[in-house]
Amino acid sequence: MLLPLIAAAFLLAGSGSAVFTDEAWNVDYHYALLGQPKQSTSFFHQPNPSSRASLVYTLSERGVLGAVNPRDGAVVWRQVLLAGASAHNASFLRAGEGQDVVISGIGSQVAAWSAADGRQAWSVDFPGPLEDVEILELVDGKDTSGAKDAVALSGGDQPVVQRLDGATGSVKWQYQLSGTDVPYQVSASTTEVFVISLHKTILGYLKLKVTSLDPVSGHKMDEHMLSSENELATADTIVTVGANSASPINAWTDSTHSVLKVNIMGTKGISSFDIEKHGGEAVERVKLHAPYHINSLSHFLVHYETATSHWAEVFHVDLKRGQVEKAYSLPKLAGRGAFSTSTSDANVYFTRVTSDQVMTVSSASHGVLGKWSVGGFNVAAANDETAEPIHAVSEVSIRGDTVSAVRSAVLLSTGDWVLLRDGSPVWSRPEMLASTVSAAFATPAEVEALVQQLEAEAHSNPIEAYIHRLTRHVQDLQRLPAIIMSLPQKVVQGFLGTSVDGDITSDSFGFHQIIACATQDGRLIALDAGNPDKVLWNQQIADLQPGQTWQPSVSSPKGGVVEISSKASAGVQYNASSGEQLVSILPIDVTADQAAQEVKYAMHDGGLEATVDSSTTWHFMPTSGERIVSLVPRPLNDPVASIGKVLGDRRVLYKYLDPNLALLVTANDAATAATFYVLNTVSGAILYSNVHTGVDLSSPISSMLSENWFTYSFTAEASGDSPKGHQLVVGELFESLVANDRGPLSSTANYSSMQTGTEPFTLTKIYQIPEPISKMAVTRTRQGITSRQLLAVLADSSAIVGIPYGVVDPRRPIGRDPTKDEQAEGLVRYSPVIDFDPRWYLNHQREVVGVKDTITSPALLESTSLVFAYGLDIFGTRLSPSFSFDVLGKDFNKFQMLATVAALAVATCVVAPLVTRKQVNTRWQFM
Amino acid sequence: MTTTQLTTSAPQWLHDMTSPSTAVIQQKSKTPILDPPGFTALQTKQQKSKTPAPVRKQPTPEEMDTLKLKKAWELALGPAKQLPMNAIGMYMTGNSLQIFSIMMVFMLFKGPIGAMFSIQQTFSRLETETNRGQMLLVKAAFVGCNLLALALGIWKVNGMGLLPTTRSDWLAWETARDPLERAYFVPS
Repeated sequence: MLLPLIAAAFLLAGSGSAVFTDEAWNVDYHYALLGQPKQSTSFFHQPNPSSRASLVYTLSERGVLGAVNPRDGAVVWRQVLLAGASAHNASFLRAGEGQDVVISGIGSQVAAWSAADGRQAWSVDFPGPLEDVEILELVDGKDTSGAKDAVALSGGDQPVVQRLDGATGSVKWQYQLSGTDVPYQVSASTTEVFVISLHKTILGYLKLKVTSLDPVSGHKMDEHMLSSENELATADTIVTVGANSASPINAWTDSTHSVLKVNIMGTKGISSFDIEKHGGEAVERVKLHAPYHINSLSHFLVHYETATSHWAEVFHVDLKRGQVEKAYSLPKLAGRGAFSTSTSDANVYFTRVTSDQVMTVSSASHGVLGKWSVGGFNVAAANDETAEPIHAVSEVSIRGDTVSAVRSAVLLSTGDWVLLRDGSPVWSRPEMLASTVSAAFATPAEVEALVQQLEAEAHSNPIEAYIHRLTRHVQDLQRLPAIIMSLPQKVVQGFLGTSVDGDITSDSFGFHQIIACATQDGRLIALDAGNPDKVLWNQQIADLQPGQTWQPSVSSPKGGVVEISSKASAGVQYNASSGEQLVSILPIDVTADQAAQEVKYAMHDGGLEATVDSSTTWHFMPTSGERIVSLVPRPLNDPVASIGKVLGDRRVLYKYLDPNLALLVTANDAATAATFYVLNTVSGAILYSNVHTGVDLSSPISSMLSENWFTYSFTAEASGDSPKGHQLVVGELFESLVANDRGPLSSTANYSSMQTGTEPFTLTKIYQIPEPISKMAVTRTRQGITSRQLLAVLADSSAIVGIPYGVVDPRRPIGRDPTKDEQAEGLVRYSPVIDFDPRWYLNHQREVVGVKDTITSPALLESTSLVFAYGLDIFGTRLSPSFSFDVLGKDFNKFQMLATVAALAVATCVVAPLVTRKQVNTRWQFM
Repeated sequence: MTTTQLTTSAPQWLHDMTSPSTAVIQQKSKTPILDPPGFTALQTKQQKSKTPAPVRKQPTPEEMDTLKLKKAWELALGPAKQLPMNAIGMYMTGNSLQIFSIMMVFMLFKGPIGAMFSIQQTFSRLETETNRGQMLLVKAAFVGCNLLALALGIWKVNGMGLLPTTRSDWLAWETARDPLERAYFVPS
């Protein structure tokens, strides 16, 4: 009898230790992204020359330098080199063979970074934008030990070539390029440094001018022009120039991609090859892949692409004779493919990655050394789109004559960066999300469908509704087997308390909202906020030409629908769950407020202009010298639970609630002043305004408006009596500052701002904060009962903090302790400095880099608000500003509760017969 | 049956003990039980009965009425006497919402309300045809005292903040004003 009790007690003790686990790392998610890698700046490299383990290095399109562990895809280190970079920025990343530094070049800065931990070794700024960076792999005996030097070429007004010391970055020599030629690239062989510049002929064609320099002294040795005739009209058809190999080559094609011309650098001879037409399609792209090592075989591969297929040819360079010969060709395959070059000692291997196979050949012969089929890349794509490799970098391991394994980091057309070990995907990084420019929450379409069904039942007559419901339930029965199958799992999960996050269809808490992200390169990607490990769908929605940008804005006009609108096009709607484009555009429900008259206002000529039925109602023009920095209207969906604030003595202070408020920030650059206006956007009246002088306008000014309060932050310059500091201003608007007074409009049911202009009474407080806030947002809950948290993005410390509203409440008493009534309200004495409490940091110890904006959405639970931050990194979490008062947390031990009940039941069963026997005995036994 | 068998063979003391009733019945004419030696109870009893008890005079109906009225007033003013004690108790429990203070307040309400409902029953014993008019005043006093106790309870409940007497209690019934115009920002 004791045994089960002991067992139960043991179980209880065991589960007792699992109580009070933090919800961090459970409810939040973070993608530390780099941005889409470029072929030319990605490679495998050993951070420590003595070890064989290598990392994947890349300098991405977004200007982020990072090292990724090829085993699990985790970022080892990263550095943001150029914030706000795009694919058009020229960037270079080189690593010398056997070196423990990587050298980057972007913008006008060359920097060396420790390959193992990302610490900067040195950096050099150039006067003009960088055109090329190379590493000198000299075999003159002097520089073999220690760090290898770098050669950098900068453009601009004074093009210059500099040789930088590998250890310190100091300039060893520099060579000033003269003339009007545009510097293009720098290349180094074992004995010479070549500078290639583009010379424009009178006819407007380009010619390549090669200047060779002595690598030791930097003196000019030779200069000659390559006779490219009239083939080069633009620099785009230059396939490759230079590269740091045993025999640097120049290669270009004509604009129709019919002839490939190759020149071995240092010679004047040009070999010409006709590009075979495979089928009738025109060759669209020609790429050249050559090994980057000075002592490897001088073989290279030319990769031809048409719209639907690709093939490649391998060429050998005969250094002695100065000739280029075609060795063999790789067959044409449908779809896109990627080639990568890897070296092992002197041997060169080319790896071909297509959407269904990975194949490695040696550069010497066309025999296949290893071939693996690819089942799939395991990434989300649209239904009609297959993920195809765009480019790849590979690392091969050679055993004997065969390739035993190959690891390839492949960038796919979906934007995912995938590592294939042989043919199977090991990890994938959703690098396309790094260029998210707009995002929105949307309810899943399944949830919305049910809502519509229920609405249909509510609005039809009882018999129809009954039949409708009956048929719906019969249809639901089809899912019964699946539900029964999943039942045991659900029960187990229920016991273990892990069932908070169900799947998207059985989401009772509203955590599974769909986040639609539109990216710079025209893709729309959907994530599930409750299960963020997987991309739901990912599709190309805008066909952008290179160099073309768009400014999409994502919104969810109604449940289950995502709408994209941009300057160029009207709104296009998509099904939020499947990503299918909706054929019939649904009427937008935002203006459901039919009774209200619509006023539309927009930025116009540096000011604001509002129109009603195409007639102008008001203008807002900043005073001369001022420009509009930002305009924040009150969110359309901003529910407020209570129209007043209950004071400690149970009287009411009425909030000034007007859905038509907007916070406008203007800046005066001459006077270094910033002005903040709260506007009534119907009448154009200024309800509140404040000027701050001595504002550092180069640092961000963030602002936010919600409910009846606004907040903004700016950086104040140092002045005579105050040092430079960051300030946060919070203002709250009331109908009246007298308690129980609802202002002049009293309790009228409706009002028109055009006819009766009431002015709010504003309380403001200024706080000093330790860091500038680059962006602000506020938590939103379903009914607005839960207290608010102000979400502030701290760019300097790569963090997001959630500041409780009570901390910045403008009603905090100044210069005295709060009275008993004020204490009851939770007000504390005003102190001008707010330190960010470590518990407010939503990201905990992670670094959330480059956050551009934060969006919030209410969950179905009143206590909870969903938060999603995007920019470079993707970060999301769930917040409960007033704690989770309506749901049991993870720290609630269901198992313990059930075990207690079970133990009590067992105890009752055991004790009941004993008690009965005793009672009977007391009746029958007298002595 | 065993006893009858015993009577034949057992000694007299056993017989007396097992069937005392027969012994009592047999000796009922004199004394029920044999007195123990030296007992003189019978004599003293006879002496007491000799002294005549003072005859109590029956009260007149008028006297009876005043008596009843007096008793009724006592009953009526009873709740008032408890008031100071209740007040101190209420003051001591404080205004916080705790199970103890809530129970005390509940009792405070239950007592007077229950008393007022059973008012006829309380005074029915003391009410006669003749004092009915005066009794009305007594009942009114009783009700008044109970109302005082109720007032104390209400004061207490108010102190606890349970009465909807302030503006904030009716805030949920006040609705926000609807604007007749809505403004929408058109990003350009």
